Amino acid sequence: MNFVLIFLITIFSLSLFFYGRSKTKSISIEKNIKLNALPKFYGYYLVLWCSIPSLVFLLIWTLFEPVIIKSIIIETAANQGAIFNDKNEANLIYEKIKAIYAGTYFGDIDTILKESALSYAKFINLFTNSKIVLIFGIVIASVIYSLKKIKNNNKARDDVEVILKGLLFASSLIAILTTLGIIFSLLFESIKFFSVINIFDYLFGTNWSPQRAFVSDASAITAAEYDELKDAFGFIPLIAGTSFIAFIAMLVAVPIGLFSGIYMAEYASVKIRRISKPIIEILAGIPTVVYGFFAALTVGPFFRQIGENLGLTVSSESALAAGLIMGIMIIPYVSSLSDDVINSVPQSLRDGSYAVGATKSETIKKVVIPAALPGIIGSVLLAVSRAIGETMIVVMAAGLAANLTINPLESTTTITTQIVMILVGDQEFDSPKTQSAFALGLTLFIATLVLNYIAQRAVKKYREKYD
Amino acid sequence: MNNVKIKSKNLNVYYGEKQALFDVNLDLNEKEVTALIGPSGCGKSTFIRCINRMNDVIDICKVSGNIEIDGVEINDKNLDVVSLRERVGMVFQKPNPFPKSIYDNISYGPKIHGKGETKSELDEIVENSLKKAALWEEVKDRLDEPGTGLSGGQQQRLCIARAISVNPEVILMDEPCSALDPIATAKIEELIDELKKTYTIVIVTHSMAQAVRVSQKTGFFHLGKLIEVGKTEKIFKNPDNKMTQDYITGRFG
Repeated sequence: MNFVLIFLITIFSLSLFFYGRSKTKSISIEKNIKLNALPKFYGYYLVLWCSIPSLVFLLIWTLFEPVIIKSIIIETAANQGAIFNDKNEANLIYEKIKAIYAGTYFGDIDTILKESALSYAKFINLFTNSKIVLIFGIVIASVIYSLKKIKNNNKARDDVEVILKGLLFASSLIAILTTLGIIFSLLFESIKFFSVINIFDYLFGTNWSPQRAFVSDASAITAAEYDELKDAFGFIPLIAGTSFIAFIAMLVAVPIGLFSGIYMAEYASVKIRRISKPIIEILAGIPTVVYGFFAALTVGPFFRQIGENLGLTVSSESALAAGLIMGIMIIPYVSSLSDDVINSVPQSLRDGSYAVGATKSETIKKVVIPAALPGIIGSVLLAVSRAIGETMIVVMAAGLAANLTINPLESTTTITTQIVMILVGDQEFDSPKTQSAFALGLTLFIATLVLNYIAQRAVKKYREKYD
Repeated sequence: MNNVKIKSKNLNVYYGEKQALFDVNLDLNEKEVTALIGPSGCGKSTFIRCINRMNDVIDICKVSGNIEIDGVEINDKNLDVVSLRERVGMVFQKPNPFPKSIYDNISYGPKIHGKGETKSELDEIVENSLKKAALWEEVKDRLDEPGTGLSGGQQQRLCIARAISVNPEVILMDEPCSALDPIATAKIEELIDELKKTYTIVIVTHSMAQAVRVSQKTGFFHLGKLIEVGKTEKIFKNPDNKMTQDYITGRFG
């Protein structure tokens, strides 16, 4: 039904475009007046007026219709004698009614349910009909209004600008509000977690084993239980593992990425650059899960084999394998960004250096890189925040046990891996174990936020200098 | 008349398919200022960039013909460009100090050529270069501040000091005052007058008045050809060529 409505509104709006355009043309000829805008702007004006109010109305209606119908139906069901003790039972009855209406309910249907289903059908009908009537009303009203406007030769160009500005503003508002919503949901769940687990026990605990954290009743945890619990949620091993793997990744990505960026920007001929830059960037397009099984199935066992030959014990899920592959994944971020910042170092600086007799590599080392340094640091920090947020590779290749170790050959785990492990499968949403995922998410979010902020500041500072 | 320092013979320059200089034969005298004038795109800058082989940086640029400095051919594949540029310094149109301290801007060149091994030697080079560029008094108390923080005119004198720091014989100036205000320009011109006692100077300029003020010899380029060259006085008072006459009187260009 909604699709039909949207389709009709679209078709109607588009035809209004042509109508508005030709109409204003003929008005201007008839009355011999100069139009305030090009005829097509009057067309746009009609299109926007016809489509936006009705579509916005349709959206709001669609969002609220089920909620309203549900509350009405539950109330009528209650009036007819349905008994439910809490919200969940009410929901169950509502679902039954809906299923009866859709013809997919195969249980016993008593009179209460039957009556309710009938009234459900009635309300659905009523709502659909009034929706159609209202939408047509809105379309007609806004079309009449806008037609009147264009007949008076309004400043359609300015009006269209205002409407478009509003539209763009609304889009960015949606993006911002969604982000805020995610942040707040993280925050609230984390607060629940921290009301059970002391934040200092979380931040400075050295033992992470949330699977131990069984509590009979989360709302009343005894002191003895808490002593057990606080040992299960120590953040230190996770941040250590995360930083360690990210560090290994950066050891791989920074030199290779930076050097290939320098090569691309300074040495490569136009032809080589045109071919090789996209190829390097393909690395960034490989799905991380592919990197993940490459790390888990090829690189990890390969390292273990080498380790065995050398007489070392290497876990098949090692920090080294995960970090190495993650580093390779990140190379294009570093190389592409540093290529860009090196390219934007003005040629005049290189000329100045050549003119006193410096060679190309001296110029790069002593003039170009220092000049591009803030931007390069920015790109490295962005890469770091990418590394600590990366999930799939570490889930597959880094291991699950939270070892506090600095041996790259042992298995270790990361924040992201633990979030995945906690939330996979069936969950009780009021247990500290589940809530700890939100606390981890919040911590990770803050860490990457800070890194991104610093990185962007660095890049911006660099831009100001040369633009 | 001073000795000839730089001699170009049948110099041709191509940017890809396009020829930028046609058979330029030009002698530049030692310890004298030679001004190169002409309308935009006539090849003046291309010519001076041949003298320190800066055109090497541009991939598509090809140079044929001869340029001799002190009788030695420099347009030679086997020539060591680094030591050539040590002898032939360059100052650019837009001041281009490195984003480093004033001190590091000057000490950059000497360090590259292994001059000034001790800190005190380096200090001396920096001080002398800045004094020669008439900048010392203005910056002596803030040598560790960034060179990019100076005013436009000071930046350009810093670049001149940077060129002087490696003790060259020739200084090439590619419209050194075009980005500066009249007062800063006057200071640079004064400086050029002083520098010509020590160095051979080639200056590209769009300002005829500047050519008259600073140079002893002037060459007029048009469409990649050297139209006329001679004593500055003669070129501006009594040129042989009609085209030169038209250009300096502002009838085209």
